[in-house]
Amino acid sequence: MRKPEFVYVTYIATTPEKLWEALTSSEFSKRYWFDTEVKSDWKVGSPFALVMNGTTTDVGEILQVDRPRWLSYTFHHVLSEAARKERPTKVTFNLEPHGKLVKLTLTHEDFEDGSVILDGISKGWPAILSSLKSLLESGAALAIPPSALAIEGYDGP
Amino acid sequence: MSKPEFVYTTYIETSADRLWQALTDGDFTERYWFGHRVTSDWKVGSPYKFEKQGAPSIEGKVIASEPFKRLAYSWDSCSPEAQRESTSRVTFDLEPRGKTVKLTVTHDELDERGVTLRNISGGWPMVLSSLKSLLETGQVLMIDPPTVACKEKADA
Repeated sequence: MRKPEFVYVTYIATTPEKLWEALTSSEFSKRYWFDTEVKSDWKVGSPFALVMNGTTTDVGEILQVDRPRWLSYTFHHVLSEAARKERPTKVTFNLEPHGKLVKLTLTHEDFEDGSVILDGISKGWPAILSSLKSLLESGAALAIPPSALAIEGYDGP
Repeated sequence: MSKPEFVYTTYIETSADRLWQALTDGDFTERYWFGHRVTSDWKVGSPYKFEKQGAPSIEGKVIASEPFKRLAYSWDSCSPEAQRESTSRVTFDLEPRGKTVKLTVTHDELDERGVTLRNISGGWPMVLSSLKSLLETGQVLMIDPPTVACKEKADA
């Protein structure tokens, strides 16, 4: 049987450099990633964290940095005890120029069987990446209410 | 084992009625769907087809049509390499979410390892990225889609 993974592809009218900046700048990420700051010095082996309104939600380690083509980090959700017990998963962004566009491929993989975070990330990534595309193309991120994602176990705003 | 399906979700800053129009109006689809015009009366059981420069590319029948909420149709690609594959099904679900609409496209009843599965898995992200750009910015995306048009196959 195939291992579960989540893959999402989107095409954005931007440059690889601008998209890279959007993926690695906490000022930028706060705007499209539900008030979440991405935190790292983006060197291989360095720590990585997602901080939402001052609360660390996810941690990891930088695996690959090939600016502006490949970015990969481990991803370990730490908000719930059940998620903390799971082994870290892996997130990879691939940025490919296509004329005046960039094809962005997100791959989130290495889930344990029955992983408690697979439902949440499968609902979260499309909203985050839709908002990222809007921000880069129109200058305005999307105002998607987080509760609209209907993520199991999510009891935030 | 269940047949493969392809599911893609995107959030678009628009209204459900404008998104419905974008999915069902040939002038609209021609712009973001890389030249493919759709025609149908969108009644359940009615035929629909996509054509590019007059050559049919996709055809089928309307399975569900609830304006501004849900549209489903059967999907037969007229690409020769897909002729022997079974008819698949596409469902569009439109759900208002704040100032945006959550659009979920489910393409199922696909053949395992088929040409259609391969083509649509690459195609939907292009089409839906371009649709989102058009509705939000007024500009479509300039992408060179893979050659799935029947006309090019027929000419080859």
